[in-house]
Amino acid sequence: MESALRNEWYCVPWKVLLLNIVEKIFQDHSENPVQRVEPGDIVNVKVDKVIMLDIAGLHPELLNNPPKKPFDRDKIAMIFDHFVPAPNVEVASGVSKLRKLAKRWDIGNFFDYGRGGISHTFAAERGWFLPGRIVANTDSHSIAAGAYNMLSRGLGTPELMQVICTGKTWYIVGETIKVNLTGKLTGAAEAKDIFLRMAGDMGDIPNTNIEFGGTGIASLSVDQRAVITTMCAELSADFAVFPHDSVLESYLDGRAEAPYRPVTADKDETYTLTSEFDMSEIRPMVAMPDHVAGNTRPAADIHGSRIDQATIGSCANGRLDDLASAARILKGRKVAKDVRLIVTPATQSIYLKADELGYLRIIAEAGGVVTNPTCGACMGGHMGLLGEGDVAITSTTRNFKGRMGSRDARIYMASSATVAASAVNGYITDPGDILGVNSGE
Amino acid sequence: MNKVLQGKAWTFGDNINTDLMYPHACYTLPEEERPRHTMWANRPGWAGQVNSGDILVAGKNFGVGSSRPAASNLKGLGISVVVAESVNGLFLRNSVNVGLPVVSCPGVSGIVREGDTVTVSMDTGKLVNETSGKATEFKPLPGFLMDIIEAGGIIEVLRKNGQIDSNPL
Ligand code: SF4
Repeated sequence: MESALRNEWYCVPWKVLLLNIVEKIFQDHSENPVQRVEPGDIVNVKVDKVIMLDIAGLHPELLNNPPKKPFDRDKIAMIFDHFVPAPNVEVASGVSKLRKLAKRWDIGNFFDYGRGGISHTFAAERGWFLPGRIVANTDSHSIAAGAYNMLSRGLGTPELMQVICTGKTWYIVGETIKVNLTGKLTGAAEAKDIFLRMAGDMGDIPNTNIEFGGTGIASLSVDQRAVITTMCAELSADFAVFPHDSVLESYLDGRAEAPYRPVTADKDETYTLTSEFDMSEIRPMVAMPDHVAGNTRPAADIHGSRIDQATIGSCANGRLDDLASAARILKGRKVAKDVRLIVTPATQSIYLKADELGYLRIIAEAGGVVTNPTCGACMGGHMGLLGEGDVAITSTTRNFKGRMGSRDARIYMASSATVAASAVNGYITDPGDILGVNSGE
Repeated sequence: MNKVLQGKAWTFGDNINTDLMYPHACYTLPEEERPRHTMWANRPGWAGQVNSGDILVAGKNFGVGSSRPAASNLKGLGISVVVAESVNGLFLRNSVNVGLPVVSCPGVSGIVREGDTVTVSMDTGKLVNETSGKATEFKPLPGFLMDIIEAGGIIEVLRKNGQIDSNPL
């Protein structure tokens, strides 16, 4: 991608350097004061928080070589999410060692079974995700944090060890593209469908950032934004950020753990590329099996494909909106005779809220299984794996071959509404058909 | 580490993801057994054919997926370098941090066929297909990343800096 335009700005001394949101946050966190950051640079940054997961307990490189001392115990959190509760002895033994580590380091922010949820969904709820921050987390869907006008991305466990020791990490500054969202979602389309449509049109964009904008974003709740940013990991994007606005401000009101400073892109910042999506034209979409980028279609196009299992959950789509959407479709209906429906809320508080609102009961009465909050089947860990020959539709984050169990299973990926509608019919269904919002098309 | 790497090429297509390289089952297996399951879902049996020093050549979006230690499995099999049309940023980090070089080289899949002998010069950014005589160039990894690779990965760096606890958990 060409960055000639940007360089021209430097040549004109009286022009102020223009930066986008990602670049500004890098600059703010740079270990050494920098005049400017530009694509291709490596910046060493200080991080505001570090999140460690239960999955670290399955990394011998950490268990055998634990960091001596964290750079700041108050900035380290440990959250158990992938395997809650432990499905086998290996996991149980691994996480016990992490509990020992939490004691050794005297970590206050430790969230064991039943107390937290999927790390980045939970961190947002707690008010840890604040505009302008950088948070280090191993999870590849940490990119979700961009919905809160901040940066986070997946890191490996060895790298997290380094961040724990030093409080610092590095990033390669990527080019940034602007995605403008206009209009408003209509009918049965959900935030996941916006992403699936983007994924189909844009394909993969390794080492590139996305900055969202456009007149339509004000119509999206922070949760809906987080669905979209979470999923941008599937495009191989580095970071995906939303600007700060009144919607985010009210979300953070009474929740933010500390004061924060919103980050705004310079007005005339030029992006490598700008694309636009009119949300009012987006229909329920499905990612076909095996990969996401460049591999999505309208649900109506594959209407009728038979399924054996339907899964609703994950950091992206185990939110209250998702459970509400499933309950709306399942109320007074039953899961098809040959289909298993498994629903996994993302956090303990979502679980409790959904219980209070009666969603969990509706799902259970329809013949669905509601599990405790965890990553569960999303990463093929537990709570409903796929067997040989199974066909599944899931509202989780990945449809990779073998991800949710057998390598001979096929995984379609869609919104929670599409998954619930497909569970009722026993085949892939546009949820608009069940909700009666597709008439007149 | 030797900066000129020569070996037999294995070729893969686009979108080779981390879950293919590091299937879920690896998490609970003894460490030394994990690499044997690399590409279990898309190319069963492949892991058993790889020899130390072989080179992996792939299409675009290589390494899309999770932070699981996919690069460790490739390294464990003896792969000396990964050359792909484009590489996912998280995979790049993980690869560097376990000491496995990985480079983006647009056009590479057009000039390398499986079984060809390929020479990759990490310093100069030259890739030569010794079998066909075809050659191409790539942007060498920044020195900052090469230093981590040459140290043998980030844990070795931490150990050298005295930041590792001598008491395992
Ligand atoms: S729910 Fe799935 S995608 Fe999200 S953090 Fe867990 S395993 Fe990863």
